[in-house]
Amino acid sequence: MIPAPTPSNEAERLAALYALLLLDTPAEERFDKIVAFAAEEFEVPIALISLLDTERQWFKAAIGLGETCETGRDISFCGHAIMHAEIMVVEDALHDPRFADNPLVTGPPNIRFYAGAPLILSNGYALGTLCIIDTRPRQLDPIALAILSTLRSLVVQELEASHA
Amino acid sequence: MPELKQMLLVEPENILRRTAALTARSMGLAEVQEASSTAVARQILAQRPFHGALISVDAGDAFDLTLLDLVRQGHSASRPRIPLAVLASRCDDTLLAALRERGINRIVLKPFRARALLDAFAALSGS
Repeated sequence: MIPAPTPSNEAERLAALYALLLLDTPAEERFDKIVAFAAEEFEVPIALISLLDTERQWFKAAIGLGETCETGRDISFCGHAIMHAEIMVVEDALHDPRFADNPLVTGPPNIRFYAGAPLILSNGYALGTLCIIDTRPRQLDPIALAILSTLRSLVVQELEASHA
Repeated sequence: MPELKQMLLVEPENILRRTAALTARSMGLAEVQEASSTAVARQILAQRPFHGALISVDAGDAFDLTLLDLVRQGHSASRPRIPLAVLASRCDDTLLAALRERGINRIVLKPFRARALLDAFAALSGS
C-alpha cells in the first residue's frame, strides 16, 4: 500500500478547511441529498463527501458506511484523489499497487471500485472529495464522469455557501 | 462550433434538474434553461423560444399536461411542433394515448437518472 501523500500546500489547505467550520458538525440535508443522488445515479452502495483533516478523513455526508464517520487519512483513497484536479478513478483496487493491500480493500468495506472528484474551492485548495465506491470492479464512461463532475460542483457551491 | 440548441427542462427536483442542465451544458449537448415548476415554465415559455423541452408531467396522483398543450396550441414563443419529451413517474394507456395525441417524442420514466435526461436532450437536439 502507498499511504496517501501530503499536498505541498497542506498548512494553507487545512486552514481553508477549518475556516469552513464544517468538521465534526451534524449531518445536513443539502449534502445528504447530493450523496443520496450520487448513489442512485451511479448505482453504487457507497457515496461520500469526505473532508481531509490532518490525520483522518471525515465524512460530512455518507451513504453505505453505517455508523462510520471517519477513517485514517493514510489509508484513504481520497487522500490520493486530492493531489490532482481531475477525477481519480480506480477501476479495480485489487490491481492497483497503491491500494491492493489497503485494509479498506482487503477488509470491510471491501472497496474494489473508487471514483473521487476533488472538492476544489475557488481559492484553489482541495479540501476533500465527492466519491462513489463499489465492491466490484467498474468503469466510468465520459457521461458518468461529466455527471460526477457536475455533482462535485454542486458540493463545492454548498461548501462555499457555508463560508459566505 | 455550432450554437447549442436551446432546451427547457421543467422538473421540481432540484439536484436532478441542476445536474442534468449543467452536465448538458458542460458536454455541449444543449443549453438548458431550468424551471422548477409549471408556473415558472409558463413565464419562460412565453418569453423566449426553445428548440425542444423536457417536461415533468407528474402532479401528485394525476398528470399535468397543460405545458404540452400550451406549446402545441401555439401559446408560447416556440414553434408549436418543437420536439417535446416528458418525465413521468408511471405511464398507463390513458397517459400514453394523451401523449401520442400531443406528438410527444419521448417518455422518461422513474427512476429518474441524470443520464436518462441527457439521453433525452441528445434525442431532442437531433430531432
